[in-house]
Amino acid sequence: MSTPSYLIRRVLQAVAVILIVTIVVFGLLHALPGGPARGILGPQATAQQIARFNHEQGLDKPLPVQYLYYLNQLLHGDLGTSYTLNAPVARLIGERLPKTLVLTVLSAVIGLLLAIPLGMWQAVRRNKPVDYVITTLSFIAYSTPVYFLGLILVLLFSQVLPWFPSQAPQGDTLAQVFSDPQALVLPVVAGAASMVAVFSRYMRAATLENLSEDYVRTARAGGSRPRAILRRHVFRNSLTPVVAMLGYYVPVLFGGALVVEQLFNYPGMGLLFWTAAQASDYPVLLGCVLVIAVATVVGTLLADIVQRIIDPRVKAGRS
Amino acid sequence: MTATQASAAATAEPILELDDLAVVFTTESARVPAVRGVSLHVRPGETLALVGESGSGKSTVALAAMGLLAGNARVTGRAVIDGTDIVAADEARLAALRGRTVSMVFQEPATALDPLTRIGKQIAEVIRNHRDVSARDAADQAVDLLRRVGIPEPEKRAAAYPFQLSGGQRQRVVIAMAIANDPALLIADEPTTALDVTVQAEILDLLRRLAAETGTGVLLVTHNMGVVADFADRVAVMYHGRIVETGPVEDVLLRPSHDYTRRLLAAVPRLSVAEADRPAPDREPAPEGASGSATDVAPVVELRGVSVVFGRGRRAVRALDDVSLAVRPGETLGLVGESGSGKSTAARVALGLITPTSGTVSLFGADLARTRSRARRALRSGIGVVLQDPVASLDARMTVGECVAEPLRVHRRELSAQDRRGRVEAVLDRVRLPRDIVRRAPGELSGGQRQRVSLARALVLEPRLLVADEPTSALDVSVQESVLEVITELQDELGFACLFVSHDLAVVQHFARRVAVMRAGRIEEQGPTGTTLLHPETGYTRRLLAAVPVPDPVVQRGRRAERLATLAAGRTEGEA
Amino acid sequence: MSTVIQPAETPGTAGAPRETSGARLAVRRFLRNRLAVAGLCVVAFFVLFCFVGPLVYSTDQTHTALQQVNLSPSGAHWLGTDAVGHDELGRLMYGGKVSLIVGLAAGVLATVIGTLWGAAAGYAGGWIDAVMMRIVDAGIAIPALFILLVVSAITTPGLGGLILILGLVSWLVPSRLIRAETLTLKNRDYVLTLRAIGGTHARAILRHILPNSVSTVIVATTFQIADAILLVAYVSYLGLGVQPPATDWGGMLSAGLTAAYSGYWWLIVPPGLAIILVVWAFNAIGDGLRDAFDVRGRG
Repeated sequence: MSTPSYLIRRVLQAVAVILIVTIVVFGLLHALPGGPARGILGPQATAQQIARFNHEQGLDKPLPVQYLYYLNQLLHGDLGTSYTLNAPVARLIGERLPKTLVLTVLSAVIGLLLAIPLGMWQAVRRNKPVDYVITTLSFIAYSTPVYFLGLILVLLFSQVLPWFPSQAPQGDTLAQVFSDPQALVLPVVAGAASMVAVFSRYMRAATLENLSEDYVRTARAGGSRPRAILRRHVFRNSLTPVVAMLGYYVPVLFGGALVVEQLFNYPGMGLLFWTAAQASDYPVLLGCVLVIAVATVVGTLLADIVQRIIDPRVKAGRS
Repeated sequence: MTATQASAAATAEPILELDDLAVVFTTESARVPAVRGVSLHVRPGETLALVGESGSGKSTVALAAMGLLAGNARVTGRAVIDGTDIVAADEARLAALRGRTVSMVFQEPATALDPLTRIGKQIAEVIRNHRDVSARDAADQAVDLLRRVGIPEPEKRAAAYPFQLSGGQRQRVVIAMAIANDPALLIADEPTTALDVTVQAEILDLLRRLAAETGTGVLLVTHNMGVVADFADRVAVMYHGRIVETGPVEDVLLRPSHDYTRRLLAAVPRLSVAEADRPAPDREPAPEGASGSATDVAPVVELRGVSVVFGRGRRAVRALDDVSLAVRPGETLGLVGESGSGKSTAARVALGLITPTSGTVSLFGADLARTRSRARRALRSGIGVVLQDPVASLDARMTVGECVAEPLRVHRRELSAQDRRGRVEAVLDRVRLPRDIVRRAPGELSGGQRQRVSLARALVLEPRLLVADEPTSALDVSVQESVLEVITELQDELGFACLFVSHDLAVVQHFARRVAVMRAGRIEEQGPTGTTLLHPETGYTRRLLAAVPVPDPVVQRGRRAERLATLAAGRTEGEA
Repeated sequence: MSTVIQPAETPGTAGAPRETSGARLAVRRFLRNRLAVAGLCVVAFFVLFCFVGPLVYSTDQTHTALQQVNLSPSGAHWLGTDAVGHDELGRLMYGGKVSLIVGLAAGVLATVIGTLWGAAAGYAGGWIDAVMMRIVDAGIAIPALFILLVVSAITTPGLGGLILILGLVSWLVPSRLIRAETLTLKNRDYVLTLRAIGGTHARAILRHILPNSVSTVIVATTFQIADAILLVAYVSYLGLGVQPPATDWGGMLSAGLTAAYSGYWWLIVPPGLAIILVVWAFNAIGDGLRDAFDVRGRG
């Protein structure tokens, strides 16, 4: 399929997914105790205020009509107003999202840079001690709740060995965040651990599969050395399925950021979400969910496009 | 080769010498000996064909000679290439030898190349593994090699990815990699098995030309006696891991001395060919009473003007284009064609598995599109199906008895368990399987046994139509012969009609009364097998027939010369 | 590297009956996987520890004992006591029961929902499949932790409600797996043969597709249980877990978080290790089962 028509179809799919997410979020808004009015005005609102709000906002209209109002609001960038922070949700998220992105992207990049060579190494040394040790370690990393891992990291590398601060960098701007790189180490490590675990497993499986492919035998029959075959052929072929998985990993990364930010007191979107949950600040909660869903959908879309770039077969629709 | 060349080859030092080679595989459950006591040699300029059926160990010998066997293989004996014993050599020594002194062409061109690397680069890699040339020179040489193996527009094609080439072109690229450093020995493991017969002929021509140009010795591994007759100077026949007979190709194929070779050759279906000087028979009236009467009887299945389009818009593929065919009671219609010709799609339309985009399908006189689902299901009780893959055809989680009984459970639900068992046993008798097989799992059976179980399942309802899609393509010739025998016998006894899909013209010639030749979704021509496959009307069918190698080296030499002459004539005509 | 390259030709003589049946071969492959067997032992140990342990080592887990809070491990309290005086070892058994029951039930529930959804989408195909899978995409796009936190802001569920919520947020991945499996199976030759001779969809699904998906479903369930036990640990941390005096390992862990800075290591190390060991064990078992059954699943 040609690239433009592929892009159009993929974007339409993404829009469909986002629409379904808005229906879920809209549904959650109406599932709130006391309905959306209570949710939006906050727990202190009187019955009178709620009745007036319901009438003004058209909340006495049928649900489908209300959903259209809600969609219209979203399209104008209006995610509602936080009643605890007394500010538009869109602005609150806009301020904090970049910081969360810094954290997640750093974790992802460092995680991948470790996971990919580890997975390949395991595949080449399959069923040897190295393979067992890394497999066991990655299962342990995968099995450890992030908050427990973060706690251990703080106890070890901040309390026992005072190498890194136990708090993430504080500050409103990205420049302030980057001015204290030491403070970023522990949060990024905590976020990257499960990434290393999961993706080293993927890379191991993909490499093993490729090592048994016929083209490896052809290359050996042509006199290529094992190391050269790994570098020139197996590496790239194994990377393609791993890139495809990356898109689906975006929500997991955000989930990790939620816990890491709370644990290290890092002023990103996760912490915003966390405090909003403690205060039942629904507009913030639902706004964050929507933004993360959009980020995930965009992430999967990007992963697909990257896959099309590195694998010419996908582009031809023959994968 | 000429007589002088042959005598020169006979005296030259062998380039490959196997001495008492044995291979044992350690599997999860046992240690399996695959090759025992194999000794053979290949001299420069000669081709030795190593033939045998599946499991005979012939491919294992080829891989052992390259040092490419899996880690669970234990090799003993000697395999000497150009003075180096492959069995004892370390990986570095082997890497220096492979691609330089000895090269290999593999069976599956679809998977033999790295899908993500441009083909020019893959060829250049082999060059630079062994010769100290710049990347640029290697790239230029890769283009020359592509030209030598007959890839059109080699400068442009060097930048293509493997998926952008056809199967035959991919095999040419693999050959280009194999000859990149002018090896002294070329090992070809079933190099044409995955290819269509016309492409097979081209690849064999290419290999023959290249080997003659450089005096390369060739070890050709194949199961196809026609390919042997076409290509080999000498033949070694393998059976159960041993060589049972070795000799010049005329001796082994025409005057076999070992009992196994005789049986093997007897089972090979031979394509009958028209004598060149005999004119085509007059085809005005139907030559025999049988085919004349058949046209009067209503067909059991009929496709009228059927087209099938997969996909939409620019990606749409027309799999069938205005196909009309009919199978009448008691007769067998052979549907032949190369891959992608639409023959399997046509069979699936007849089975009602694919709904045609246009045209009508009638089954036992009823229009399939107009019958309700319940009535359609009842109609289908008159169909029996046998498909190609013996492994995928039977549900591995059922016993053989359950597999065979399934049609009864669908259509004869009133039967008691005892009656059902009785019918299953009766049909197993008919396909010549022992009754106690009912409790076994399909996984425990051989390919031939499994296809007979499929046949028993297809016949348990005593159908009026049997649709068989390449039912013996995955089987060895001796097993193929016995399965076809059973089908023929039962057809005489039960009188069902048969739609028989196959790529093998010889098999269809023996098995089917009428034949339809398909090409690119259309029916090229159809008629009685005796006339259509002996005196075809279209150039395509003629080319198809000419490309089939027959297992007689003398006849095949003549056919090859004739085919090449026709091709050359066609080319000069085209240029003029 | 040569050790990982498969032989091109199946050795042995064609037609010789295989000596071992598929099931027995699978069991043998599984038992040869040392990590998987270790996982099985760990799970067996914790089941005994949590369900039989309290009969041998009985403690009071309902009343607080404020005169003996935060005691370090001793002969009387092998793992010390917590902030309200509960015996930590007894609490580990008591909390483990909740973690294991909720994890197992939620994991199984998620797989059941996922299997039905994925099988329906895969078998139906066409636009039904497209719509059903877009819904799955949408579900995957919202991280489970965020949904759980929103739910915790709205309500505090009981044990059954907790299982239900966890099941409802984690069926998406298994549904994709089973859909892929169904897509392959419905085009297997034996299913095509059945349909060609007039077999019903019900027969195709019940007699062929479901029985052949069993190994995939079993493997998916094992991984799903591992994930669910981990998720239970998060749920308590997010404040959605079971309410005191009841507890689970995640609850014990998050309750001990602040205490850890005071040096009360026995309040976090045992529940932390228990979670890691059990989740690790289920993952190792799943890995072993996948290799034994030779099915594809997550890496």
